[in-house]
Amino acid sequence: MPRIVVDTSRCEGHGLCEGIAPDVFALHDEGAVEVLIKESVAGDAIEAAATAAALACPVAAIHVTS
Amino acid sequence: MTQTLPSTDIDLFADEVIADPHPTYRELRDAGSALWMSRYDCWLLPRYAEVFAALRDHDRFSSASGVGLNDVMNQATKGGSVLCTDPPEHDHLRRILGSRLTPRALRGHSEDFLRRAHLLVDELIEKGSFDAVADFSSAFPLSVVPDLLGVPEDGREHLLKWASAAFQAEGPMNERTQSSLPDLQEFLGYITDVAGEQKLASGSWGHQMLLEARAGEIDEKMLPPLLLDYLGPSIDTTISALSTAIWQFALHPDQWDALRSDRTLIANVVNEAVRLEAPIRGFGRHLTHDFDADGVTLAAGDWVFVSYASANRDERRWENPGRFDIHRDTAGHVGFGSGIHSCVGQGLAKLEATALFTALADKVTRFELTGEPVWNVHNILRGIATLPVTVRV
Repeated sequence: MPRIVVDTSRCEGHGLCEGIAPDVFALHDEGAVEVLIKESVAGDAIEAAATAAALACPVAAIHVTS
Repeated sequence: MTQTLPSTDIDLFADEVIADPHPTYRELRDAGSALWMSRYDCWLLPRYAEVFAALRDHDRFSSASGVGLNDVMNQATKGGSVLCTDPPEHDHLRRILGSRLTPRALRGHSEDFLRRAHLLVDELIEKGSFDAVADFSSAFPLSVVPDLLGVPEDGREHLLKWASAAFQAEGPMNERTQSSLPDLQEFLGYITDVAGEQKLASGSWGHQMLLEARAGEIDEKMLPPLLLDYLGPSIDTTISALSTAIWQFALHPDQWDALRSDRTLIANVVNEAVRLEAPIRGFGRHLTHDFDADGVTLAAGDWVFVSYASANRDERRWENPGRFDIHRDTAGHVGFGSGIHSCVGQGLAKLEATALFTALADKVTRFELTGEPVWNVHNILRGIATLPVTVRV
């Protein structure tokens, strides 16, 4: 089960994660990113999408651990 | 050291390399994952994989000893700005700067930017032929951030020279660096003057920070570096990205047609422009622990030049890297750096560009080059100096 965490102290709301993995991340209007997926339901496809978003996050605020 | 060091005596800062850098970057990428630059006693990371890894590994690749390639600047700047600190000092300054620059915080400016963009574009269409760098690309960067910061008009005429000098001085101690130091001194004097004597316009970002400093929320001695962090990196870099885009749209009218028929592509223009021609060639880092660069060990204590410009053209990472393609998936490019030190103003740069290219797309059908672009010769910055164009409507 991957663990997907957004470091809210680093997140600046650039929103690339939502563009890459809209099933995993939602950028709310007030600028905060929410992780939509619960650990218990996250599969390989979700982990791959979350990892792609983590690599694209310009401020390295997303952490995905298997 | 027992390993034979892969090294190069290529001078990354020679005039001819700066004028036409991409063949040299390619040669360096092909020579190895890490190369000891014998002329400068520091490592070069020319490939994408190691550059990205380095930028994401900010504890090992420290910025707190400075990010330049000469001791004078590194001694003067270390620990004193968001660029030259590690966490936790970095994070505190980044939050102050970043809070005003998040896409959400900037949203309210988009209408005003678009209005200003239309005025500028109408003026340029009236002219017909102009220098895209001076007349188009420079207009927003020389007014937007100075206005937001609230710095006085008096002195702004020197901003181009000063901001360029602040980057120039981060190079190796060559003639360019030396000749930039007096200009940098002037810039620092101006900033200190502006920060100290209530010259900041009421209600501006600068004035807000002044009040926060008076209230003890910001260390008062950090006010000049914070003003510098907002102002210095916002000018040449944005001008470079906008000019690269115009140049490429003139060379590839199919790309301009594509943008005009699908405005959602505008959001990717700046990304692809700074991927193709990274406005910042690279920055230095100081290793706190050994680093394995695909079999080459870089030792703790060594200095490393991390080449954003070369990484963004790495054939190992990008398909047809020399081609400007606004459809490209640019995610992961390092034209803004990457990780905790990535460009804090990227949201603002994108907002400026979106307004400008929207206004252009409404009216301009073609950009035609009426001469060759002339490039700046600069240690750290890559950007076109003059770009004569004619626009068709």
